[in-house]
Amino acid sequence: MHLPDGIVSATVAAGGYVAAGGLTWGTLRIVRRENEDPRRLIPRASLLTAVFFVASLVHFPLPPASVHLTLSGLVGVMLGWLSFPAIVVGLFFQAAMFQHGGLTTLGVNACLMGIPALLSHGLFQLCHVFGRQKKSVNAVLGFLAGFGAVAISALFAALLLIYTIPEHLDAVSEKTAVIALSMAHLPVAVLEGVFTALLVLFLLRVKPELLETRK
Amino acid sequence: MIQTGTMTKEQDSFLARWDPRCKLTGFFMLMLSFALVRNPLLLPFMAVTALLVFPLSPVPTSVLLPKLRLPGIFVLVYGVILVFGSGTTVLIQVGPLALKAEGLLNFVVIAVRLFSILTLATVLFASTPITELTSAMQSLGLPLLLADMILFTNRYIFQLAGDMQKTRYAARLRGFQGKSLASLPTFAYIVGTLLVRSHAQSERVYQAMTLRGYGQNRVPAGLKRKTTKQDLLALLAVVFLSTVFVIAQTLL
Repeated sequence: MHLPDGIVSATVAAGGYVAAGGLTWGTLRIVRRENEDPRRLIPRASLLTAVFFVASLVHFPLPPASVHLTLSGLVGVMLGWLSFPAIVVGLFFQAAMFQHGGLTTLGVNACLMGIPALLSHGLFQLCHVFGRQKKSVNAVLGFLAGFGAVAISALFAALLLIYTIPEHLDAVSEKTAVIALSMAHLPVAVLEGVFTALLVLFLLRVKPELLETRK
Repeated sequence: MIQTGTMTKEQDSFLARWDPRCKLTGFFMLMLSFALVRNPLLLPFMAVTALLVFPLSPVPTSVLLPKLRLPGIFVLVYGVILVFGSGTTVLIQVGPLALKAEGLLNFVVIAVRLFSILTLATVLFASTPITELTSAMQSLGLPLLLADMILFTNRYIFQLAGDMQKTRYAARLRGFQGKSLASLPTFAYIVGTLLVRSHAQSERVYQAMTLRGYGQNRVPAGLKRKTTKQDLLALLAVVFLSTVFVIAQTLL
């Protein structure tokens, strides 16, 4: 899901930067409006950004290969509107330190992973409707937040790759490639969903205030 | 995992001394102009430009190749889709699979672009410490909240990676293998424990920083150096080079 440098055209890269810049500006504006002192959120946001970064170093065996987690759904659940800027920062470090993603594709990758994180946040807010303290509600919404973040990112990435780059790709190959790229991420999305649900249940039991997005 | 700005073999090279604001602007423009290249005729010039910048930088050659591995795998997988699914001119037919000329050309363009941009990014990050990069970005318009997040994240990444390693080592000593999917709950609890512990610590650090006046000085720190004529001339040269690539791509 991290598109490396050189894979998208300059137009798409610039478009990604414009969209990511607008979303970062908009989400920071909402954070400033909702919080009296937004700087108080920086330690938690930075910590989650670091977790988002470190999670990509941990690999799980998923035969025939091994996969790593992204935790973008968890970042969305725990940071709310601040999850988008947090993902921008996390991707910047991933590009700077081990070329996971790229600098020219930073805007595109931020949109691919940040928008699903915001959607995960919106989805998890439903627990206020169905019961904030209910374990089952938190588990189901946690799973959907984690699963949805990866699944939507993978779908966005596949659509972007297939519809923006190859000029001569035929319709059948196009359809097959979109389906294949999306389906390849399905087991990872399920793994991410289960992991997010387990982590949400753990935090609900140990430190529930970490699941609140406002201070 | 390597910290930015630490891979220099000699600190007095021009790229290590170049004003980070000029360096960031110049490199970014050059990388974007490379991303614009689609004409195969420009590929050798792009690769040569990247290869010429590399020896001018203080980055050891051993750093570059391992960095190509991860994005290289992605590009290779994508390349398979391109060479077999994109185009109409068949070069080689093996059973149901047909290697097509247009797809192969697309793949070569993407691979050379990846190599060239990655080389520049490696030079940029390896020759500039993260604090200088953040200050440069802040002076170019990055919001203060985001700049602070970058600096705090830089601190937590190394702390968390170390804590994670210690916790996993401790778990292994207690017989935890972590080699199957059944270990997923244990991993979740390890990450959860790290989150809770680090969060409490980060709150204390924040309070200590506030007591010492954090947030009062809103001027970007670390930008006391003045931009010299040499810095500006180098930036102009890079901007000129980027413009040449953009014009050449448009005309050819």
